[in-house]
Amino acid sequence: MNNLVVKSVSHSYLDNKILDNLSLELIDGEITCLIGESGTGKTTLLRIIAGLEKQTSGELILGNEVISNDLLFKDANKRNIGLVLQERALFPHLKVIENISFGLDGTKKEKIKRSKELMETFKILQHENSYPHEISSGEQQRVALARALAPSPKVLLMDEPFSALDRALKFSLRMDTRKILKSENITVLMVSHDYNDALVVADKLAIMSDGKIAQIGPPKEVVLNPINKEIKKQFVCETGDMLYWKSILEEESQ
Amino acid sequence: MYDKIKSYILLSPSILMGIIFSIPALVIIFSLFLPYSENWTHLNDTVLNEYISNSWKLLVGVSIGVFIIGVSTAWLTSTCNFFGKNFFIWALVLPFAIPPYIMAYSFTGLFDSYGTANELMRLIFNIDNGEPFFPSVRNISGAILIFSFTLYPYVFLISRTAFLNQSRDIFDISRTLGLSKSKTFLKVALPLARPAIIAGIMLVAMETLSDFGAVEHFAVPTFTSGIFRTWFGMNDIITAKQLAAFLFLLFLIFIIIEKYSRRKLQYNTISTSNRKLVPVQLYGVKQIGAFIICFIPVLIGFFIPFIQLLYWAVAYKLSYFDSSFYDSAFNTIYLSLIAVFICIVTSLIINFLIRVNKNNFLSMINKVISSGYGIPGIVLALGVLEFFSFLDSSFNILLTGTILGLVFAYSVKFYALPNSNIQSGFNKISSSLDDMSHTLGHTKFSLLTKIHLPLLRTSFLTAILVFLIEVIKELPATLILRPFNFNTLSVSAYLYASDERMIEAAAPSIAIVMVSLIPIVLLLKIISRDNNE
Repeated sequence: MNNLVVKSVSHSYLDNKILDNLSLELIDGEITCLIGESGTGKTTLLRIIAGLEKQTSGELILGNEVISNDLLFKDANKRNIGLVLQERALFPHLKVIENISFGLDGTKKEKIKRSKELMETFKILQHENSYPHEISSGEQQRVALARALAPSPKVLLMDEPFSALDRALKFSLRMDTRKILKSENITVLMVSHDYNDALVVADKLAIMSDGKIAQIGPPKEVVLNPINKEIKKQFVCETGDMLYWKSILEEESQ
Repeated sequence: MYDKIKSYILLSPSILMGIIFSIPALVIIFSLFLPYSENWTHLNDTVLNEYISNSWKLLVGVSIGVFIIGVSTAWLTSTCNFFGKNFFIWALVLPFAIPPYIMAYSFTGLFDSYGTANELMRLIFNIDNGEPFFPSVRNISGAILIFSFTLYPYVFLISRTAFLNQSRDIFDISRTLGLSKSKTFLKVALPLARPAIIAGIMLVAMETLSDFGAVEHFAVPTFTSGIFRTWFGMNDIITAKQLAAFLFLLFLIFIIIEKYSRRKLQYNTISTSNRKLVPVQLYGVKQIGAFIICFIPVLIGFFIPFIQLLYWAVAYKLSYFDSSFYDSAFNTIYLSLIAVFICIVTSLIINFLIRVNKNNFLSMINKVISSGYGIPGIVLALGVLEFFSFLDSSFNILLTGTILGLVFAYSVKFYALPNSNIQSGFNKISSSLDDMSHTLGHTKFSLLTKIHLPLLRTSFLTAILVFLIEVIKELPATLILRPFNFNTLSVSAYLYASDERMIEAAAPSIAIVMVSLIPIVLLLKIISRDNNE
């Protein structure tokens, strides 16, 4: 079981409180999308779960193991939690195949086998020997996903994975990503500011506000039944997607 | 048609400069095709192997030395916070003020049999047998030590900038993929900074191989000292030029590697995000360790030689500061300013024409002119002498032995420094500013004077500073080309030291250090502002 429990986590930078007694549970094999306005602490939460920062207080439990609390802190390189970033952060000095096999253990043959499997899944096998700057941004994002999935992490964290892509690319990559994540049965927490990401990719949508989870549930349920005005306003204010949401809301209400 | 003629008229002075600046190098390369004298065979049978082997040992030793010192200090000061870090960020650059030959003079004064350090140890341990306490530094190991501790700032500065530009995201990803901090350094940070480190080491290699003062003082025969001995000892300028030509060919290889490394660096520094590395606070033993690692190079590379020289200069009340100092310092600075002015004007015109005309040919000429940096001082001096002698005899004028030779040599050798500053200054100016100026009815000349020149002010200042630092320290070309009885700071120091009058050499040496410190401190302020520290 790869459930991840975030228990009463608070975090501050100097006097600025970023996370305020936040609790969240990620269920094994489920994709949860975390949405919230800028500065609400989404990325900080991701960094704390990844082990790149230590929370001021609270506890993190992965499966049956406590990975961080006031007394204990498991380092990022020992947590087996994968991370995908908006900027992709591919290693520019390594070829695509070397990027993907970077976090793998085992013999060279085993590493190549696993990397090639993933490259095939992500349709980037033809770029095996290319450097990151030689491939398109969509392909770079696929490499970043494949690299994070290669060591079979217990949990995958994705920070705005589609936001740097154009609309058409975003659409196709979102569909592919969900298919792959589901086939790997991986627990995912994805941070986004785009409600379409949640609707297409996620099983659950969590709305974050003022350093806390304000609402959580299946994406459509959250969108159609926002628990307060602030959350409702966010859906309507989604520039460009307003008509889309409106039509869904009207369709559902009829 | 009119445009074509106009562009040729604009290009011709640049082409002429390209040709003139290339002459010294061409003269030297041409000597390879002259008949080889008996002296060449004699050198080949006797000392040439020693020159090659010593130069090679020096090169490998110094490269390893500067790599260890430069990279470790650069990594610590860019990724960690520890006691004294802010001091070390600029203090680690101070050895730039001490040319290798000055440090060699200081170290022989310290570690020779009756040097200060040995005397002190005898006094402490009450030993009176005259036996030296420290091993002699007048050998190749001593030379490696001297070069490593005076030249590592090249690697420190360039690798530190590379580390500072690395994205935090890349390190985070590496950590989440299971790599520890030390493995992340070895597998991610170091390979990413590799082109920068190689470029730095290549610059050090060129400085090492072109040095004359330190190896001569330590009696370590290398290619450079061999050229001097062949010329002045055997009185054979053609063989000296042929030796110089081989040295120059070696330099061309270094230049190619350095350029290639910089080109690769472009890809490695395409930042995936603007999030910079957040320095880690060190505590306890790690903090003490970081402090010691950074303190040793500053102590050996700057404070020890500086204090030793200062002590001599003060304790013996050297009369140098009363009279010769002002003349030598004035000579050094006014020559530098004339040469840097020529370089800045040339570089400004060429880079402006490249920008507005997008001319590849001009860009190639600029690269040719810039490659003068790779010509060792002694090789350059030989080329300039030959060229000026030709002009003297052809036009019945007297150029040889005038300050024109020095100005020309400095311009050829150090043109690359102001040029790279002006080039990067131009790169920082958005091309849309040019378009706006054009659509608002301004001419190209007005674009240059009203838009580009004001925006390039920092580049000009940086150019002057780096130029000054290099010229103040330059020795071999100055020694050969200076007019009779015309002394600069470096020549004064050399003349005393070559007579083994170490205490007298202290005054001009300390003057070199003090005068170099001014542009270095100003330069550090500019670098620190650019790095947003």
